[in-house]
Amino acid sequence: MKRQNARTLALIVSILTYLVVGAAVFEKLESRQERSHKRRLDARKHELMRKYNLSRANFEELELVVLQLKPHKAGVQWKFAGSFYFAITVITTIGYGHAAPSTDSGKVFCMFYALLGIPLTLVMFQSLGERINTFVRYLLHQAKKCLGMRRTEVSMANMVTVGFFSCMSTLCVGAAAFSHCEGWSFVHAFYYCFITLTTIGFGDYVALQKDDALQNDPRYVAFCFVYILMGLTVIGAFLNLVVLRFLTMNTEDERRDAKQRALMTVGTSRGEVARLIPVSASTSSTPVAQDSAKAKDLKGAYTEVLHFQTICSCLWYRSKEKLRGSTPTLLPQELTLSDAYLQQNMNRPHYMEPGSTGCVCSPRPCASISSITTGLHLLSPFSVFKRRSSV
Amino acid sequence: MKKQNVRTLSLILCMFSYLLVGAAVFDALESESESSRRRVLELKRSEMKKKYRFSEDDYREIERVVLQAEPHRAGRQWKFAGSFYFAITVITTIGYGHAAPGTDAGKVFCMFYAVLGIPLTLVMFQSLGERMNTFVRYLLHKAKQCTGVRRTEVSMENMVLVGFLSCIGTLCVGAVAFSYFEGWSFFHAYYYCFITLTTIGFFGDFVALQKTEDLQEKTPYVAFSFMYILVGLTVIGAFLNLVVLRFLTMNTEDERRDAQERASLKRDRGLLDGAVGLHAVDEPRFQIKAGRRRPESSLSSCHLDSVDPNSVSYRIQGCSPGSRDNTGLSSPGSTLSPGHSLHEFPRSRRKSV
Repeated sequence: MKRQNARTLALIVSILTYLVVGAAVFEKLESRQERSHKRRLDARKHELMRKYNLSRANFEELELVVLQLKPHKAGVQWKFAGSFYFAITVITTIGYGHAAPSTDSGKVFCMFYALLGIPLTLVMFQSLGERINTFVRYLLHQAKKCLGMRRTEVSMANMVTVGFFSCMSTLCVGAAAFSHCEGWSFVHAFYYCFITLTTIGFGDYVALQKDDALQNDPRYVAFCFVYILMGLTVIGAFLNLVVLRFLTMNTEDERRDAKQRALMTVGTSRGEVARLIPVSASTSSTPVAQDSAKAKDLKGAYTEVLHFQTICSCLWYRSKEKLRGSTPTLLPQELTLSDAYLQQNMNRPHYMEPGSTGCVCSPRPCASISSITTGLHLLSPFSVFKRRSSV
Repeated sequence: MKKQNVRTLSLILCMFSYLLVGAAVFDALESESESSRRRVLELKRSEMKKKYRFSEDDYREIERVVLQAEPHRAGRQWKFAGSFYFAITVITTIGYGHAAPGTDAGKVFCMFYAVLGIPLTLVMFQSLGERMNTFVRYLLHKAKQCTGVRRTEVSMENMVLVGFLSCIGTLCVGAVAFSYFEGWSFFHAYYYCFITLTTIGFFGDFVALQKTEDLQEKTPYVAFSFMYILVGLTVIGAFLNLVVLRFLTMNTEDERRDAQERASLKRDRGLLDGAVGLHAVDEPRFQIKAGRRRPESSLSSCHLDSVDPNSVSYRIQGCSPGSRDNTGLSSPGSTLSPGHSLHEFPRSRRKSV
């Protein structure tokens, strides 16, 4: 089965298993307490109903009023500060629900607002996170140099450690601040920060809901907003470092497969042309023949064809070298890149960018193909060997 | 300024303006209705307080009891079905909050559960979304072939259109289903589906499976809800994979490209030094080469002028490092000496990409 399909299936199975396991554990942890809590509340409710001689209907009416008043209890939710808070919870997808649009037009606007805002926010946090990672990498590099360490490259392990510690300290700082300002315990404040910064946002704990803080305490309001946005950046940077590469795995595999398929089709369709140059093929492919894989032969044919089209003889050297020395996956990339160069150079004689292929093409377009071929004949034995050392 | 920095700064500015605009609009839309509703409710509350003659303390007690009993109104939340529902809202980051762990142990487990579950879920949805996109691309390709369209390649616009329509379709299907099962209006059910599938997940107004005892009794409806959330998230994920994912890696790829350029630059410099050392004996030849100072000078060294293998190889080697030196253009004033002759070649190189 194709790698991407196997990977996707494995992931689906893991998620479902993960959900089942999680459900079982949560049930074990919470079910009993839920039952006893409900019993206690019911008992209290009945007490109160008896005391004030309330019928069921009356109590339900009361319940409704209390529940509907809940957001209002926390203060004015939709003045500018509150709306800004709400807008943050929408585009970051935290979504506490401490306040939710009640008017239909508010709901409609909320949907359009989210539609544009969420991708914008995703891209922004990843962009900023990547900048932060680069900066941290630079700092670590300087630090390593200053400490006079032997190897001053910053490894992935270094970055992950630093990222992890930044996340933990962000959570702890927030926990300390919110436990002080909201009167929660440290654990509950930590839990709040965690649930917020992972954008889950239950809404069981919500900041800025005590004593009309949104209207009365602008500094605390500013701190909360800054904390949420900065915390999300730190988490985003960590995700950018660790998770983002996995999100593009399938796409990159697909791209590689497509190139290989394209390679195969070109190789077979140009098989005819390849046969026209048996001499160069044999002389140049002697080093290649040692590899002997059928796929590689096809690719060998393609590279022979390549030099027919290419202006730059050096490209040919490059592809041969890659054929010999590296994995097949590398080859299609090189060659299709050269395809792009071919297109460019077919249209106008031009300098080629060395770039990732390390192509060292000359600026002058070759007048005739034969000169390249003859040149290749003579150059190939030497060039390939020599070229390798320069990589 | 570097491209990535400019991009990041403009994105930050965009987001802040977006938040400000959003806040202003929400304020305009909701503030009025909020204050009027609040007035009505507070009136009702004082009415009831007078009617039943609650003491302040007792009323506060009633309030507390009612608020705490809120999740229980919907039935058992933490049996297996409810826990599964909860686990879904955690790892997909929807987080309704219709039920939240009450015990401290539950809270701690919830955090660890999320730490592993959220990245796993992200990767899975993107993986599955990509597979779906590939399959849709294949179907569209076949469809184009069958209907005899001239150009059978599937363009990005085709894919985006299909993706967008699938998202709208998914939302509408959910809206119909939930409006029927939950007794909401179509619009409210659509709003619920939207808020769920974007993983915003408000609580309070609309959460499915909260009509009393639904979680325990209406098993097929429960299964449908779970399936809907997971499938819907896949469809949205596929659309995001198609449209947004490439933007998430923009900075990283730019950085990679810059690093490659720097690395090849360093390599060339290193080689250059090595090559110069090797060529000490060959000085006369290089002086001649350097003297020409034409753009083609590099080419001539690449070409085979003589059959001397050594000189050929050296010249090729001499050609390569210089040619990769894109930034060689910045040093036009390099003096012409045997040792520096190879610096001449970079000047002829230009970035064509």
